Amino acid sequence: MEGTLALAIAATPSFIASSVEFVEATTIVLAVGMTRGWRAPLIGAFLAVLTLAAIVAVLGVTLVTVVPEHVLQLLVGTLLLLFGLRWLRKALLRFAGIIALHDEELIYQREVRELRAQGLRKTDFDSIGMLIAYKTVLLEGTEVAFIVIAFGAASVAEMTAAISGALAAGVIVVAFAALLRHPLTMVPENWMKFVVGAMLVTFGVFWATEGIGGEWPGDAVALFPIFAVVLATSWTAVRLLRVVLPGGARVEARNV
Amino acid sequence: MSSLLRAIWDNTYGLLVDDGRLAVGALAAIAVSWIIAVASPSAQEIVGWVLLALVVALVLANIYAAGLNARRRAS
Repeated sequence: MEGTLALAIAATPSFIASSVEFVEATTIVLAVGMTRGWRAPLIGAFLAVLTLAAIVAVLGVTLVTVVPEHVLQLLVGTLLLLFGLRWLRKALLRFAGIIALHDEELIYQREVRELRAQGLRKTDFDSIGMLIAYKTVLLEGTEVAFIVIAFGAASVAEMTAAISGALAAGVIVVAFAALLRHPLTMVPENWMKFVVGAMLVTFGVFWATEGIGGEWPGDAVALFPIFAVVLATSWTAVRLLRVVLPGGARVEARNV
Repeated sequence: MSSLLRAIWDNTYGLLVDDGRLAVGALAAIAVSWIIAVASPSAQEIVGWVLLALVVALVLANIYAAGLNARRRAS
């Protein structure tokens, strides 16, 4: 029981982060399936999952077993920091109203419109549908693979937790999407992206420090104050943007 | 083949970098912290906080610059 609880706690960061990516991939696969039939997008999604499994197996196992610990910590910390800062920056700009909030319903409707415009002959195998599903699942799945490797690279136990979290997220998101046959717009994606960005930056700072030979007082307990500082910084950044740009969402600036 | 490699590179780069200045700044922050850790072994316990402070400054500076950029485009 204790072991299961520990695994669940360790798997949570990977679960939350992966859920966002699965929701995005599911929206596109749903759009293809609902407009052009299910066979081709399901084959595309399946092939992408196979490709991803190979990436995680090769990269994950190589990283954990071959690369020296300090080099691995520095590599993982650096990648997490880069990856996390990208997410956090976008989330902060969204909250300040400078870029549009992520809207699954809008993305779904736009994708359906584009797919309908392309047309489909009933006798043909839908290679376009398969390719779109493959590319989408592969791209979003690469981010999941990245999340799994980043959260799990520290040890075999953490890799197991990260993989479990990602798998659980995938099963739950796909099950809900299959049940509802509609994009999961009720998932608070923008908030989740912000939390994930803050978590990735926190882990990035932690592991990069360990990688360059630094030490944290209390070891992993230091993750909590680091996370608090990242959250406080985010709050300050949004306040700063509201001072610079009181107009917020009314500003049509997409590429800032 | 080259277009496939290009697509893989673009996607990988896109995963990590949204704003090049932020990415370069993060790498520079790690490099500075590393130099401090190597130069002064007694600084091992503070180097993490130095890195965190640099990241905080980087995020605030980048977001402020993004806000100014947006305001300039809007006016």
